[in-house]
Amino acid sequence: MPEILITYAAEIRLAIGQTFVMVGLSILAAILLGLPLGTLLFLSRKDQLLANRWLFSALNLLVNTIRSFPFLLLVVFLIPFTRLIIGTAIGTAAATVPLAIIAIAHYSRLVEQSLLDVPKGIIEAAVSMGASTRAVVMKFLFVEARSGLVLGLTTSIVSFISYSTIMGVVGGGGIGDFAVRYGYQQFQTELMLYMILIMVILVQMIQFAGTTVARLLDKR
Amino acid sequence: MISLRNVDKSFSKQPVIQSVTLSIEQGEIHGIIGASGAGKSTLLRLMNLLERPDAGIVEFDGTDLTTLPKQKLRNVRQEMGMIFQDFHLVANKTVEQNIAVSLDLAGVKKKDRIARIEECLQFVGLANFSGKYPAELSGGQKQRVAIARALANRPRVLLCDEPTSSLDPSTTSEILRVLQTINQTLGVTIVIVSHEMNVIQSICRRVTIMEDGRIRKTVATEPTGVTEIESDAGWFLTQLTERGETHA
Repeated sequence: MPEILITYAAEIRLAIGQTFVMVGLSILAAILLGLPLGTLLFLSRKDQLLANRWLFSALNLLVNTIRSFPFLLLVVFLIPFTRLIIGTAIGTAAATVPLAIIAIAHYSRLVEQSLLDVPKGIIEAAVSMGASTRAVVMKFLFVEARSGLVLGLTTSIVSFISYSTIMGVVGGGGIGDFAVRYGYQQFQTELMLYMILIMVILVQMIQFAGTTVARLLDKR
Repeated sequence: MISLRNVDKSFSKQPVIQSVTLSIEQGEIHGIIGASGAGKSTLLRLMNLLERPDAGIVEFDGTDLTTLPKQKLRNVRQEMGMIFQDFHLVANKTVEQNIAVSLDLAGVKKKDRIARIEECLQFVGLANFSGKYPAELSGGQKQRVAIARALANRPRVLLCDEPTSSLDPSTTSEILRVLQTINQTLGVTIVIVSHEMNVIQSICRRVTIMEDGRIRKTVATEPTGVTEIESDAGWFLTQLTERGETHA
């Protein structure tokens, strides 16, 4: 183990832990809220089961707006909101708020796209069997789209990791923040490179896991 | 058993079905034939309200489906199986799971499903296929699974939307035999939409010929049928060729 990593072992461990908390909670938000939002985006489209032009336009605009914010500005813009729900705008918990919001918007779009890939006839067959909209979603759409949903989530997680690196601006910490403060600002280029290496390995592992799971789930 | 009265349906202001009145009798095999764009698939989809009519009444066993609340309509749909040209099986489910979901929707308990699934697969001649995925099956086998799925809830009607149009001639006659057996041994009323005259001619007792969203004629193939059908088939084929040319 290089000496510099041993010297900073405690700080590095803390930073990795912070990244995991921020990214982990974002993944949770993506699944719990992004998945339903993306499904609603899909269902409210023209000619779909809950077709509603106004609902679709509203959700579409919302998702686009959030995704078009430069992320750093979204973090700053959301400070009053973060303070309202977390009680403070500083720290790892506070940093999770903007990250979760971008996570929901990001993943919902990928969910919508995965569902659009399901052949329309499957929905028709489901309805002809007497399926309710809820049953169509749970027993048909999610089953048929599952590998796309996993690949989308994998892509999203990689983005969340990238987004999480700037969370130093609100004291969120994490690997990126550590690399900037200890590596870049203190002229310890070696330390910065090690942090980048950790990120690269992390992303490789996540992508490998996601691709494998998606492949195993795909029987088409 | 199914009766449509003065039914109209348009898609984006383009009329597809115009004041159609038609009744399907219990126990018959009824064919609906016409050129593409004649509205025959839409007519079939109106029968289980996959399409809602803009005007008119769709009745199943004397119940007007257009006024039924959602849950009741779903129950009625379970009494009407449906199969499609492209099968529409869930590719990520095994044969068994594809049929199970249909039973699940009808509220059949888990422990009762296995026996019903085996019974259905046996009936369509796919007894050992329960663990296979649709990707491992031929077109004819997929359509058999779709038929088994449609039969799982013991429907009284089977709606078939171009059931053999993706299949080769020998597979087509196999599937038609299966449909005929279903009609004869289970007493299921069958409605078949097709643009292939030989399909309609080989198993249907009555045939409705559609043209430009209207019923041109409904004819019986029994008892005097065959000659009359053939003359109409001739007409139909002329129509088909003419349309082919204008669209080409």
